[in-house]
Amino acid sequence: MQMTDFPPALILLSGALLIPAAKGRLRWALAFALPVLALADAWQVITVGAESHVAFLNMTLNPVHVHPATPVFATVFAIMVLGGVLYAFNQKREHELPAACVYAGGALGVLFCGDLVSMFIFWEVMTLGSTVLIWSGRREDSQGAGLRYFGMHAFGGVLLLMGIIIVINQRIHAGDADPLAFRHFDEMVQGWSTLGWDSAGMWLILIGMLVNAGAPPFSSWIPDSYPQGSASGTVILSAFTTKTAVFTLMTAFAGVEVVIYFGLYMAIYGVVYGILENDIRRLLSYSLVNQVGFMLVGIGLGTHLAIDGAAGHAFAHIIYKALLFMATGSVLWATGRTKMNQLGGLYRTMPITMWCLIIGGLSISGFPLTSGFTSKSMVVQAITDEAARMAALGQSHNHLIVTWILFEAATAGVFIDACVKLTWFVFFQKDSGLRPPEVPWNMRAAMIGFAGICVFLGIFPGPLYAILPYQGEAAEYAKVVYSVDHLTLMLGMLLFAGLSFFVLLPLLKRTESITLDLDWIWRRFIPKFWHDVVTPLLEGLDRAHKTLLEWIPARFTEDPSLPPSVRRRLPGSWAVSVPVLLITVMLLTYLLIYFWLLPTTT
Amino acid sequence: MKYEMTPQEKRLARTAWAVGLLVLLVIVLVDLGVHHHAHFEQDGLTFDTLPEFYPIFGFGSAFTLIIVAKTLAIALKRKDTFYADD
Repeated sequence: MQMTDFPPALILLSGALLIPAAKGRLRWALAFALPVLALADAWQVITVGAESHVAFLNMTLNPVHVHPATPVFATVFAIMVLGGVLYAFNQKREHELPAACVYAGGALGVLFCGDLVSMFIFWEVMTLGSTVLIWSGRREDSQGAGLRYFGMHAFGGVLLLMGIIIVINQRIHAGDADPLAFRHFDEMVQGWSTLGWDSAGMWLILIGMLVNAGAPPFSSWIPDSYPQGSASGTVILSAFTTKTAVFTLMTAFAGVEVVIYFGLYMAIYGVVYGILENDIRRLLSYSLVNQVGFMLVGIGLGTHLAIDGAAGHAFAHIIYKALLFMATGSVLWATGRTKMNQLGGLYRTMPITMWCLIIGGLSISGFPLTSGFTSKSMVVQAITDEAARMAALGQSHNHLIVTWILFEAATAGVFIDACVKLTWFVFFQKDSGLRPPEVPWNMRAAMIGFAGICVFLGIFPGPLYAILPYQGEAAEYAKVVYSVDHLTLMLGMLLFAGLSFFVLLPLLKRTESITLDLDWIWRRFIPKFWHDVVTPLLEGLDRAHKTLLEWIPARFTEDPSLPPSVRRRLPGSWAVSVPVLLITVMLLTYLLIYFWLLPTTT
Repeated sequence: MKYEMTPQEKRLARTAWAVGLLVLLVIVLVDLGVHHHAHFEQDGLTFDTLPEFYPIFGFGSAFTLIIVAKTLAIALKRKDTFYADD
């Protein structure tokens, strides 16, 4: 193996072993050096277009392969780790840095996977790293939230693995030259509406990826788990899982129409739940779902400009989202509080944090002169371009008109949420009497650096456009992004959305509350149902069963003609029989799936 | 505990509100002079070229989203210790 085909992920993953072994300055030197080295290696691989072939079991894996969207994601992932490490420089949690290396390493690994098997391996590595990162938050509910997070991703991972196995089998039976390849599922775009067994593998992969993207009905894992990280842990958490899912969806499912609707739901859901949220970091988690929704709309459209828009937006999003989590993390660090009803008036003593939060908030809303303005608007343009193209072909495209309206409405919504509401309740609102000092230099430096990137990309989007999957389209778009039409359109829309916030301010008074989500089903309803209905039922059956079992042997034990061994027979117990029943049902389901899904021809 | 704003802070707040409203006024005036292109011209839809469409759209959609959220909250709002109380 040469330097050009060394998987960049391994450089970050090595941090998990090296960092715990190092002490003091060396520890931090390593933490800063590894992402830089990984970025250098990534670009070497990208420039050469390297491939790598590794024998594993009976397969040939390809952990080094450059997909169209790999450069932009790899670059921002490395920048993100660097910013995250700088921000974390003053924290002392021992597990956090190594866990972050595993997490980011797994994410970087997925970007360079040429085959589905190594993608799955890195995918699961990412889950492990992020779970430890949540646990090391040591907040009130970190343990429970980490466990729920792990359960959710284990579930998504199983779906993904099942899908991968089915797809690989189908490809082998179809005589595919490269059955393991991680590539676009063109078959799905041709006939995505055919929900037959033939496409079951692809559907499972799609759902597995959507779970990680925070698509419904599983969006709630994001606000449930991310706010449980530490101030610095959540910054790292916000970057990788959902954006890796965006990358894989972009690579495998671009142009699959159903993804648009998942995206629209997420865009609206994130705003609506964000409006009601009281915790500053849960609010940002909801707006994260909203932003990933915008990316999914672009992926579902699948045109070159839409993909460029989604990828560019992912880049911009990782930076401003991290910036927002850094600013709210600073508030947590300085005051120990995250609830808006307990905050207010912090503008007096934390002006740097405030301005960084405002810049992040303006970026997430796509405000002119910020990165969101130059990235997200590509997706909007792609929606109208596609509508015009379909109209010219005489195809029905009403769904795109609806998509455009909802997309713009959600844009206005996220401005009041993540920008106006957050700034108002944390830094103004009322005087909470808190006078915390500004955070240490490293946290300020990380925030200022990321705020700088947001503004730079808003004014000079060229360098970002140059590494997008289809640069030509983006370069063409760069000519119109700062037209007077576009500029006044966004200013008018956003600022008047802000006005509606202040008009309705009496309605938005903060209370210590949460809003129930679909996770109520598995966090409350199913456990209650199990406890109140299933358990009594089983216990009733158990009693009936025992009575029966005691009655029958009693007939025999009282019969002196039978040998003592038979007379001593004990009644059976549910303790064993219920698990045995469950396992039998599971194996039977597996058998049925196996018989139905696999092609019978050999 | 309630804290009173100092006179200086009160002046600052008043100035901020005034500047904000002035910016909104400028936006309204500028929008009168700008022609926005229609996004779905091929369908005969030109609603987005009407004067002041985007300020009204932005205000209206944010307003609607807040009302929708508050309506949902009637059924779905719980104390934030809801799950912790188990």
